[in-house]
Amino acid sequence: MIEQLPILNMLIFLMAALIIPLLNRRVFTLTLVMGFMVLLSVLISSVVLLVHVNTVGEFYYRFGNYLSFIGIEFKIDAFSTLFTTFIVGLTMLIYLYSCGDATDGISEAEYGRYYILLFILMFSIFGIIYTNDLFNAYVFMEILSLTSCSIISIKRKKENYTASFRYVMLNEVGSLSYLFGIALLYMVTGYTNMSLVFESIQEAWVVYPANIMTACGFMIVGVGIKAAIFPFHIWLPDAHSHAPSSSSAILSAIVVKVYLLLMVKVLFRAFGVDIIKALDIPVILMIIAGFGMIMGSFFALAQKDVKRMLGYSSVAQIGYILLGISFMTHIGLSAAFFHIMSHGLMKAALFLSVGAIIYYQRVRKINQFDGMGYKMPLSMIVFGLAALGMIGIPPTIGFISKLNLGLAALDRGMIIFIVIIVISGLLNAMYYLPIMISAFLKGEKVNKIAGIEKIPVVMMIPIVILGLLILVIGIYPDLIYGLIENAVNAIL
Amino acid sequence: MTEVKKKRKIKDFLDHFTWRSSGLVILMLFLLFAFVGITKNWFGLYDSITQISGFNEFFFELSHINIYPLVMIGIPLIGALLQLVYKNTSSLKRDWIVIFMTFLTIPLTMMMYPAAKEGGIDLEFPGFMGLGIGFVVDMLGFTMLLITTIIWFIVMVYAHEYMKKEDNSNRFFLFMAITYSAVLGTIMAADLLTMFLFFEVMTISSYVLVTHNQKDESYEAGYNFIFMGIIGGFSILVAMLLLYFNVGSLKFESALSALYTLGNLKYWIMGLLIFGFGIKAGMAPVHVWLPRAHPVAPTPASALLSGIMIKVGAFGILRVAIAYFFPEQGEVFSHLDPVWLTTKNIGAFIIWIGIATMALGVFLALQQSNIKKMLAYHSISQMGYIMVGIGIALYLGYRGAMGYSGALYHIINHGLFKSLLFMVAGVIYFHTHEYDMYKLGGLWRKLPLTATVCLIACLGIAGIPLFNGFISKSILHHGIVEASHYGHPSFVYAEIIFMIVSAGTVTSFIKLFYYVFLGKMPEKYKTIKAEYTCLDTSMVTLAILIMLIGLNPNYILQTLIVPQLNLTAYDPYFIDHYIVHIHFFTGSDLMTMVYVVGLGAFIFWFGTKFHLFHLHLPNWLKLEYIFFYPANFLMRRACKLMYGDQCPIDTGPLSKLALKKNENTGFLERFVTMTNVFNRRYETNMIKSDVFIYTSFVTGILIYMIVMSLI
Repeated sequence: MIEQLPILNMLIFLMAALIIPLLNRRVFTLTLVMGFMVLLSVLISSVVLLVHVNTVGEFYYRFGNYLSFIGIEFKIDAFSTLFTTFIVGLTMLIYLYSCGDATDGISEAEYGRYYILLFILMFSIFGIIYTNDLFNAYVFMEILSLTSCSIISIKRKKENYTASFRYVMLNEVGSLSYLFGIALLYMVTGYTNMSLVFESIQEAWVVYPANIMTACGFMIVGVGIKAAIFPFHIWLPDAHSHAPSSSSAILSAIVVKVYLLLMVKVLFRAFGVDIIKALDIPVILMIIAGFGMIMGSFFALAQKDVKRMLGYSSVAQIGYILLGISFMTHIGLSAAFFHIMSHGLMKAALFLSVGAIIYYQRVRKINQFDGMGYKMPLSMIVFGLAALGMIGIPPTIGFISKLNLGLAALDRGMIIFIVIIVISGLLNAMYYLPIMISAFLKGEKVNKIAGIEKIPVVMMIPIVILGLLILVIGIYPDLIYGLIENAVNAIL
Repeated sequence: MTEVKKKRKIKDFLDHFTWRSSGLVILMLFLLFAFVGITKNWFGLYDSITQISGFNEFFFELSHINIYPLVMIGIPLIGALLQLVYKNTSSLKRDWIVIFMTFLTIPLTMMMYPAAKEGGIDLEFPGFMGLGIGFVVDMLGFTMLLITTIIWFIVMVYAHEYMKKEDNSNRFFLFMAITYSAVLGTIMAADLLTMFLFFEVMTISSYVLVTHNQKDESYEAGYNFIFMGIIGGFSILVAMLLLYFNVGSLKFESALSALYTLGNLKYWIMGLLIFGFGIKAGMAPVHVWLPRAHPVAPTPASALLSGIMIKVGAFGILRVAIAYFFPEQGEVFSHLDPVWLTTKNIGAFIIWIGIATMALGVFLALQQSNIKKMLAYHSISQMGYIMVGIGIALYLGYRGAMGYSGALYHIINHGLFKSLLFMVAGVIYFHTHEYDMYKLGGLWRKLPLTATVCLIACLGIAGIPLFNGFISKSILHHGIVEASHYGHPSFVYAEIIFMIVSAGTVTSFIKLFYYVFLGKMPEKYKTIKAEYTCLDTSMVTLAILIMLIGLNPNYILQTLIVPQLNLTAYDPYFIDHYIVHIHFFTGSDLMTMVYVVGLGAFIFWFGTKFHLFHLHLPNWLKLEYIFFYPANFLMRRACKLMYGDQCPIDTGPLSKLALKKNENTGFLERFVTMTNVFNRRYETNMIKSDVFIYTSFVTGILIYMIVMSLI
């Protein structure tokens, strides 16, 4: 039975997406409850899978029992189960929030459509993480980028259309690059299955190095565009800032990370560390990551719109993750995985709390945040916690990320990256702290908290849980570190 | 009958709250005396206690419970929660909770004495924060805890009265409690990670105290404070990473054998640590935040910032240096051992930094007219003394016990008199709403008690015999003479500067006392009426402590400092001969003091006669000018390059950059404005050139790989 759970997870998402239009005539709450049940059941089955994989061992799921070089194959191991569990858990929090906030700029007729898109998005994310097939990943990638494009443009405003058009064009370029890479790999190895590609690529490397080189370059750039790695980040700030807050959180905290996870799979599972090192890819990735860490923050510094600033901040944080990946070591990869989770939590907390503020106070500009800490105390406290995490102040989760990344950099003997991490942290401080200062210490002379802001409970619960998680995992990171170690062992 | 009358009189004289809190202060003093009495075995007190059967075991168990550090950190936080309950109903109840919770930490600290003496309470939490955190209370930590808890308690008593006139006192006390808990945590940390954790929390929470007044200058000062704090934090973080990677542990124990093989990296590690903790300690080149932040904070906060929090920085340097860069006790038996080479180099560096700090601090203090600003500059100068002491402790290696005791003793003394001086400044402001000392005068008639305690504090900081400053300054002077004697002869100059700085301190406090309390009183202050309040209770208590230490200097040395020295790798012979049996009131020391006071009085006379105290440095000597002038020039050129003739540098928000008055805009603001220019110019361009970026990147990556594979 457990072997069937991965495909059941995905089917449930598809089913949910199909049922929502049928519930069109009923009360909308029914849809919401159904969606919540779907996410809950997927979360439970993901946890079951996670426990199963970590205790019993990994397994493959082959569709129609075709052999893996013809058919589609899912690899259910510590890596994929950990991240599917994390993603569905985080999505559940964001989903809860969106139940109270779905009206943020979306017209009432579109509510249902938003959730349809959300479930198809989840379906494709699960597919990308589970799959062990390069081409299959491409298919899910296309679904993912089209659904996220529709989510961005759901608000029906001019700037949303521009943003989503730019998003879809660039992402198509990325997808095609990736497809081109697959084609080149298929040409020399004869497979699209990652494990089989990995087995035969060593021989092909001797005969056709140019093919593999070109394939590698195109695939990295293709996935890089979708993951908003630094010079390709250009679509991200507009897209993330114009989308509704809950979907900004999903895009920034989850979708972008999925592509990074795909990149990890392509680099380590398909090409293998030896060829990657022979092609000198780590150096290229390190340089991009270093630039991203500085430049993302540098651009964020000059933003006036708070959501745009958060978008640029994501660009910098993706640099951190890429840096961890580019070290190609065990400790580096575990630092990267940890940061995927910690950034997911922090960015979700930031977007959700900012979303609550935007929705209830109608302010987006950073200079309008004076005294906000007294109008929306809870949201601002969680925002502050997450912002401190971004800077890297203990005892938040962001500090542990910085610590791990720093140790990974030293492990590779790259002291320069410690300097870059520190500079990037300072830049983070320069754009996050003024917001907190003006929220808590500016404004009226005598500030009084009248009480916790009156936002719906469904919005308050996710914000509080995220804030607590940021602190709890920051104080006791071993809660998830064992799982991350297993995931890294499954990759390397 | 007469007794009843008296009581009623006192009750009229003091309000109920003052009465209660003064009682608590007296209880604190009693506890302190009991502590001294038991440790010194007055009247056979200790013997008679230990003879009670069963009590001994009970007491042993009680004093060795190893969760005390957690309880200590928890008490202020519980207090903070209780404060939240009463924040809207009763400010008296809230203040009582604050005072009482702070008081509780004092007996708790004293309970830890037996365990601390035997090597320390140890408490570890492996797995927390990734690398594991831990707490330890040894004699160094115990000494810091004792002085911190006492001063904090007294300042809290003071704060109750003072904060009545300020807004947002709920927020103030809440963050005060968090800061207190963080300070206690920093002191009790058993490894660098724990220390860093609490140190950062302290930086963030004390920021709220600095900007409490919500005025423009407090934001400016706060900006400096928080960003320098964060830079310091990052520098400690980098040092921590390097240390963990190369040594494998962050516990405060000797890492010398691992560090010895590292070459220059060990100096980098120590340099980063000195830089990081030094920022908080107000060390010379990075002191710039201190004279801005301390004056703008409300007085109780500035008393604690100057009295305790900058000491935490010095304590950090002392702790890491003694822990990591010293050999284990009993490993080394001579000052000629090559292991001392590292500490010697680091020590010489710290001594000169300390000398520069103290000279700069005093020089700038002499020019100030704002009382609080002057006191802040004196904090810098006095931190220089402490740094010199730490430097000597490292520089002389095996024989550096004198520097160690001097530094620690001065930490205690400076905490006492500087918080008292800030309190006095606060009282003066409380009554006159004036900080400019040249506009005050003759206040001793109106505020006799304040004048008396101020005099005591001034005598203390100036280093007059019979007051506490004399003791630590004499020890430091001995230390610096030893440094030039055993070490390099160039420290003779250090000694000379040391004397001149001490004279400058004397001048400065003659000036303060003269202009504020003596001379002619301006008309508008004739109506001041002094009442006896909590303010006076707390000031008098500190004054009493200052005098007691001055009169009986050997107690702290023998009970608190010598046990630490014996646990460190210092020469036992040296400790036994020079420190345990030190005599303070000898002819030569007293004569030195006479010279210093004479010189100080002369500078005061000379300065007032020729109006030297009103001198201001020319513009081009200011740090901002030197730094910003070329920056402005470069920015203008860069702007011309980016925009051509339509350069917006003279218009819009960018015109801030072109200001001739450079001190109005800080470094960070400039940086943000600069990124704005860059961003406005290139952000859209970058977004529009998406395909170009894609193509060039793909081509670049392929060319790079081809080149690399061809090589």
